[in-house]
Amino acid sequence: MITKTIMCPKCKNTLTVQGNPGEKVHITCPSCNIKGVFTFPIDESISRVVHDSFALEIKDLTKKYKELIAVNNLSFNVRKGEIFGLLGPNGAGKSTTIKAILGLIHTNSGEIKINGFDIIKKGIEARASVGYLPERVAFYDNLTPLQTMNFLSELWGVDKSVSKPLIKEVGLEDAINRKVGTFSKGMVQLLGVAQVMIGKPPVYILDEPMGGLDARWVKIIREKIKMLNKQGATILFSSHILSEVENLCHRVAIINRGKLIAEDTVANLNKYLRIKPRLEISISGLNGRVPEVIKNIEGIEAVNANDDTLFITCESYVKSHIITSLQNSGLKIDNIKTIEPSLEDAFVKLIEGGA
Amino acid sequence: MVGFNFKSVYTIAKKEFMDNIRSRWIIAISIIFIILTIVSSYVAGGQGEFGGMEATVATLLSISALLIPLIAIMLGFSTIAGEAEKGALYVVLSYPVRRVEVLLGKFLGLGSVLALTPLIGFGLGGIVIAATVGAEEGLAYLAFIGLSILLGVMYLSAVICISALCSTRVRAIAGGVILFFWAMIYGLIVMSIYIASGGSYEDFLSPSGLSSLPDWFWASVVLSPNDTNQMAIMQAFGLEQVIVTPHIGAQTAEGQKRAGTQIAELVRDALK
Repeated sequence: MITKTIMCPKCKNTLTVQGNPGEKVHITCPSCNIKGVFTFPIDESISRVVHDSFALEIKDLTKKYKELIAVNNLSFNVRKGEIFGLLGPNGAGKSTTIKAILGLIHTNSGEIKINGFDIIKKGIEARASVGYLPERVAFYDNLTPLQTMNFLSELWGVDKSVSKPLIKEVGLEDAINRKVGTFSKGMVQLLGVAQVMIGKPPVYILDEPMGGLDARWVKIIREKIKMLNKQGATILFSSHILSEVENLCHRVAIINRGKLIAEDTVANLNKYLRIKPRLEISISGLNGRVPEVIKNIEGIEAVNANDDTLFITCESYVKSHIITSLQNSGLKIDNIKTIEPSLEDAFVKLIEGGA
Repeated sequence: MVGFNFKSVYTIAKKEFMDNIRSRWIIAISIIFIILTIVSSYVAGGQGEFGGMEATVATLLSISALLIPLIAIMLGFSTIAGEAEKGALYVVLSYPVRRVEVLLGKFLGLGSVLALTPLIGFGLGGIVIAATVGAEEGLAYLAFIGLSILLGVMYLSAVICISALCSTRVRAIAGGVILFFWAMIYGLIVMSIYIASGGSYEDFLSPSGLSSLPDWFWASVVLSPNDTNQMAIMQAFGLEQVIVTPHIGAQTAEGQKRAGTQIAELVRDALK
């Protein structure tokens, strides 16, 4: 993704735009309302990609379970130094794809390379360059985190002395001698994150790292992902929640029923997926009438009135404008509900759009 | 296969040992096993009329035939299916290790936990026997302990295979239960076939009858770890007073006659 600052040819106002090389965007100058088209230059460094500039290469991956096609001819690449989000509703084939990337399951077809190493022909080298956190991981109930980490570092082939600092890094030092069997889900997940960092690999694959965790744990895991990326690591993680991915991933791939339906930067995808929030405003004495004051507000997509409730689909930034306009016109607002778009809505839109 | 890392095998084995030696179920069943062996060594060993050492071994054999497979199955059933379900197995397999190293490590680690129970139980039992009967047959007794461990190892291999083949822990439990009951049912099946093909129970009651048993009957024991083990123990001891019977096990001639009489009386009473 590239960011460009361009100047309006008429009023000389400057604005910034984001997009992919070769992409065309329609721009409306916010100060003089003149419309224009901007084409992003094709970036040489991206169009002439060298073979091993990819941390992960997935080519024509297919995995069938009897009649069910879990992953259907999936291809995508993850560039070095990228945070890459693998998005999809539950059952879309995310975990299957991840397991196939790591060579944990047999595939029907496909070629996978981690850090340039083929997962089947150069399995040991490929796995030595990747740290993996399975979905909803659990460890050995009878061992303490320290024993678990000592075992795993020994298995990786590094000195046991890495265990304690890593446990401290994820904030489990208080529970270092407790049995893992007594841990909460969040704590087990943090131990999972600690174990991922044992061999200091250049690539990290995390399957639903924040799935089902409360806000405090999510924050710690997000920070760890950012920190690893800052140190130069490539991270692929899967999620079915859009908000987890926003502000964290450079690029995302969306899969549904084992098929790739979109692969893009988050900014582009947001534009693509944008489903406007919906407002539900209760006003006593409305009687199914749409108030005049809001009819001319820019950014409103649809307005409906039913008894004393007003349903408005609009851009986020006009929400407060709508409410103040209503209040200024003397209407009494009893209650306001905002329904934010969910990823499930976005998928419906994407799938319907693609059909 | 290119290369093989023994250190990975050792690491996996060590972890399996540390993890399972702390399992409450394994500790509980091992304690039961140890108590049973000590008590029966004392009782059987103390009563000379049963034939001392040989009778004691026959008694211990019936304990180990039941409990050692149970321990092996409990140790092994979830080692692959259960860990795959939890995700821990995938962490291990995503590390720079080979699958064969993981499998071998698990086998050796669980095997050493398994060996510990009969070693302690029969070891302490052996001391009791030595004190009450005498230590003349020490070597044979050691062979008996070794063969008991071998029985466990046979079950462990089978149950690890079951665990690898089953996709869930629950299925692996079912597989383990079937394996456990197989040994009991198998002997009956082979006996029925023998009787149906013209054999007679009489053949099992005298040494001359035994020598007339067909070869296939003797060979059929290989399909059941328990029966194979019993045969091996009989061979190791070369027992004379004890009647060696495939699928039934060993009893003293005296005991067998008495049991036979008792059953006959029961049947007669029931028919009255």
